[in-house]
Amino acid sequence: MKARNVVIAITAAALAIGLAGCSKTSPSTSSTGPVTMTFWHNASQGKGSAYWEQAVKAFQDANPNIKINIEIVQNEDLDGKLQAAMQANNTPDIFFQRGGQKMADQVAAGKVADITSLIDPTVKSQLAGGLSVTTINGKVYGVPTSMMPEGFWYSEDLFNAAGVKAADIKTIDDLVAAAGKLKSSGVAPIALGAQDAWPAAHWFYQFGLRQCSKAEAEAMTAGKPNLDDPCWLAALKSLADFRDAKPFNDGFLTTVAQQGAGSSAGMVANHKAAMELMGAWNVGVIGSLTPDKNNLPDLRFFPFPSVSGGKGDQSAMMAGNDGYSCSNKAPQPACANFLNFFASTAQQKLYAEAFSTIPANPTAADAVVDPAMKQATEALGKSPYTLLWFDTALGQKGNELNKAVVALLAGQVDAAGALAQIKAALA
Amino acid sequence: MGGGAKVPPPTARRAHKPGTSGWRANLEIGLLSGPAIIIFLTFVIAPVFVALYYSFYNWQGWGPARPDQYVGWGNYTWTLTNKFFWQAVGHNGFIMVVGLIMQGPLAVLVALLLNQKMRGRSLIRVLVFVPYVISEAIAGIGLRLMLRDDGAMNALLGTKISWLANPKIAIWTLMCILAWKYLGFAIILMLAGLQGIPEELSEAGAVDGATYWQIQWHIMLPLLKPTIKIWAFLSIIGSMQLFDLVYIIWGQYIAGIAGVSTMAWFMAGEGRLSGELGRGSAIAIIVFMISLFVAVVYQRFVLNRDTEGALTEPAKKAR
Repeated sequence: MKARNVVIAITAAALAIGLAGCSKTSPSTSSTGPVTMTFWHNASQGKGSAYWEQAVKAFQDANPNIKINIEIVQNEDLDGKLQAAMQANNTPDIFFQRGGQKMADQVAAGKVADITSLIDPTVKSQLAGGLSVTTINGKVYGVPTSMMPEGFWYSEDLFNAAGVKAADIKTIDDLVAAAGKLKSSGVAPIALGAQDAWPAAHWFYQFGLRQCSKAEAEAMTAGKPNLDDPCWLAALKSLADFRDAKPFNDGFLTTVAQQGAGSSAGMVANHKAAMELMGAWNVGVIGSLTPDKNNLPDLRFFPFPSVSGGKGDQSAMMAGNDGYSCSNKAPQPACANFLNFFASTAQQKLYAEAFSTIPANPTAADAVVDPAMKQATEALGKSPYTLLWFDTALGQKGNELNKAVVALLAGQVDAAGALAQIKAALA
Repeated sequence: MGGGAKVPPPTARRAHKPGTSGWRANLEIGLLSGPAIIIFLTFVIAPVFVALYYSFYNWQGWGPARPDQYVGWGNYTWTLTNKFFWQAVGHNGFIMVVGLIMQGPLAVLVALLLNQKMRGRSLIRVLVFVPYVISEAIAGIGLRLMLRDDGAMNALLGTKISWLANPKIAIWTLMCILAWKYLGFAIILMLAGLQGIPEELSEAGAVDGATYWQIQWHIMLPLLKPTIKIWAFLSIIGSMQLFDLVYIIWGQYIAGIAGVSTMAWFMAGEGRLSGELGRGSAIAIIVFMISLFVAVVYQRFVLNRDTEGALTEPAKKAR
């Protein structure tokens, strides 16, 4: 009797919970009525965040029926939160998109809207090849906002004070020599936020890009590398050798990448470190961490130097794309229209200024005025092929790859040990 | 679980009360305990079984697990043959043992001290308790900043020590942080225990010519035993479950390298961060079994024996 009551009560509660869950579904697909959308982006600071407020306001003014609620998610928390939201069928309508295998996983799970037919023809023709980074099997799953090549962002003042010329850094040996001079001038030569793992792993990506042939490096971004190719071990060895020269800031293992003055970007912003290897978002990130929150005036750029005996093209670059996708449940065409809106030339110019970055829409390219960003754009023009970050390209397995590189940098494993860990992670 | 076991006795007593019919009493019990039972079953017991179910699947969390994702004991063998998991288990064990040794005697001494009548006693009691009240997140972020290589601690001491990154030092840094954070709780517990001891006992000892330390050693400490055992139990459970401070101070990647990884940290990394939720469920079940084993052994061999001896009234044969 009592037991049965309990069962009934539990069943009732379960039903109630289940019903509450159901009542949230079925958004109006052909929306003429008022629509509200949630929007997750990772521009947690300063001008970037202001840009999105502006864009949302301008879009809402033009479409009074549409309301967009912005939620800012810190970059390091974004992927985990997004995955949790998707598992809970609670995906934000518009969300930040890194592309690569991460996007492919979301698409395979049916969580991303196919917006192929909703892309504005003008935007499509202007972005041209740029749209390929958010396209799978001919279907478009998002719109890119920027193109972000990677290299060294350095303080020209600190380089001058140490008597180092960036133009002279052609090889890794040059970089080691420059680091030595910078160290004796009293600053940390290279800032590294290894606590977040991926900034450390980017060093391995760069060495891999230099050591491995184009075909082998591309195989890595396709998730099918031949890890027995000696170039991968060579890449890990060059990284270990480079670390042994002690070019990184003291305590790089417990340094984070982007948060606060003590982060690696913050060290560059406050002239505590001379340079950092990072993607092109770094101009904006460093800018938000300077004392006056303006871009660092003496920030300049040089590409990753060459390694001797490498099989890859020595001017190839690693790069990423930022972009945005619509969830499978987002009201259409409202969501796609917002993506079309910020991909327009006028909005992309504002975007490029606010984030100090290279816009995905080439018609807005003249908005790039930052001297460092101009140098990065120039280097990108000379790059014969450009590969996506390995961790993004590999999806969730990329985290394991990143961990192995940190273990190598920490001296916990040697190059062979790190390679074994990577093999296990990608198996 | 303990709460559930305590429910029946009132039932029995109520039912015998004259004038209350059986169905009314049942209704009352149902209404009062129902919500708690439902919440407990829904959010504690059911998830354990859900985790058990998913632990047999190679499941990434996109929709329900499919039959072709069934991997049997695969996730369990993966975990149990993973050397990083056993490293984490070792760290948990180390934290458990060293935590007891570091905090126990210190807490008893401070509690004895604070049990004296002295000036500023209530202020000291509050101060001792402050670290425990600060949230783990705030304490963690603050300590992370202070203990960096170029942080306040090295600046203060004029040293160049990697408090967090050097594997030989980091675990002791963690032990000191834990002692700082949770000592206040231990002291308050001991103090409450001491104040439950009737003053006549120590007075009688004093009259018989015992010195202060003899009184503490031969009278207070034995009577404080039940409290110490309960504290040790809580401390052990806390050590097994330790996650937040490690995750906040060392982040999601480097705790293993710094030699401070714990089982829960390992689970978060291999389960959630890597997106392998099925594997994470298996790790959760293993951690649950380990914790349950430790808790049951402690209950059976330390706590039970204790309650018998500690009761001043004639021991009623419990259960």
